[in-house]
Amino acid sequence: MKDQKNFVNHIRPGFVPSGALSVLYTFCLGGLSFLAFMVLAVTGLLLMFHYQPGESTGYNSILTIASVIPYGGVIRNLHYWAGQLMVVTVNLHMLRVVWTRSYKPPKQLNWLVGVALLILILFLDFTGYLLIGSQESGAAATVAVNILDLIPGLGAGLAQALFGAPSALSGSTLVVYVWHCVALPMVALLLQLYHFWRIRRDGGVRPL
Amino acid sequence: MPKPLNWTRRAVLRLAWGGIIAASALTIEPLVKYLTSKEDRLGSPLVEYSKPLNVNSDWQTTAKERVWVKEDSLGVMAIVATCTHLGCEVHYYPEKKEWLCPCHASIYDIEGRPISGPAPKALPRVAVERKPDGTLIINTSKQVEMGTRL
Repeated sequence: MKDQKNFVNHIRPGFVPSGALSVLYTFCLGGLSFLAFMVLAVTGLLLMFHYQPGESTGYNSILTIASVIPYGGVIRNLHYWAGQLMVVTVNLHMLRVVWTRSYKPPKQLNWLVGVALLILILFLDFTGYLLIGSQESGAAATVAVNILDLIPGLGAGLAQALFGAPSALSGSTLVVYVWHCVALPMVALLLQLYHFWRIRRDGGVRPL
Repeated sequence: MPKPLNWTRRAVLRLAWGGIIAASALTIEPLVKYLTSKEDRLGSPLVEYSKPLNVNSDWQTTAKERVWVKEDSLGVMAIVATCTHLGCEVHYYPEKKEWLCPCHASIYDIEGRPISGPAPKALPRVAVERKPDGTLIINTSKQVEMGTRL
């Protein structure tokens, strides 16, 4: 088991427990989530070349990407649907972990990392929705800011730090853009790599 | 006797690699088109128009930024043919003296005032200036009242 604590050997393991090869044990839900994350990273990077955050520029640039820029519609739809898929697979992944009691020791730390990842993914999903810049996103941003404002003392500052100052007509702000495109994905990626490494560290996937 | 196929796992995986590389090659052309697109570049709000205008002529298109110009006895005016409902480009029909939106059938009269359909406002009029050589400069970022002339 010594070589399994090395990250390089994690990518190209010397051996894999035969039980870990069963698809029906995990349904590959974590792997599917990571695949969706990779698709989101690539398509998201491409969208950044043409997207401009801002109250009216956000929505207008989405319209331009979706209807004028060559292949922009494909890239935007890949990003959108991979995002929807990831939220579904991440939740199913969590259900599977509960079902097989995989949160129990020695995997309790990895369960907590997974919970943190779930929160990050949901916030990525929400900020992506705000960046569409539609009136619906403006309403969603307003609700989020108003809820945060209820926290005594910290609320207003927290709302500014997380969402900037979205208007009621568009949730697209520079602050949301930076969280969605840079800060959250980087933290999520680092946590995911740790999450994967931790699986083998804790003894790998084993049949019930 | 046909040779028996020898599909080892290794052979299938090698074929899969070829498929992945071929599929990746197919994305090069779309990616180049996507990344080199200039469609979202901000255009200048200024439109130049140097063709002569006759007094009491009908609307003439500048063919740029949806701007149309016209001259009457009071002077030159410019209109932007963008529907005030949802932003489609409206077309001018000189035989009917009407502007028609193809998207939701809004109709505007010759002055750009809405006469039927969902359009809430008149087509926007924009400022016109004339350079010393007679070329018209239309500033699409500067809206003016309907009666304004150069």
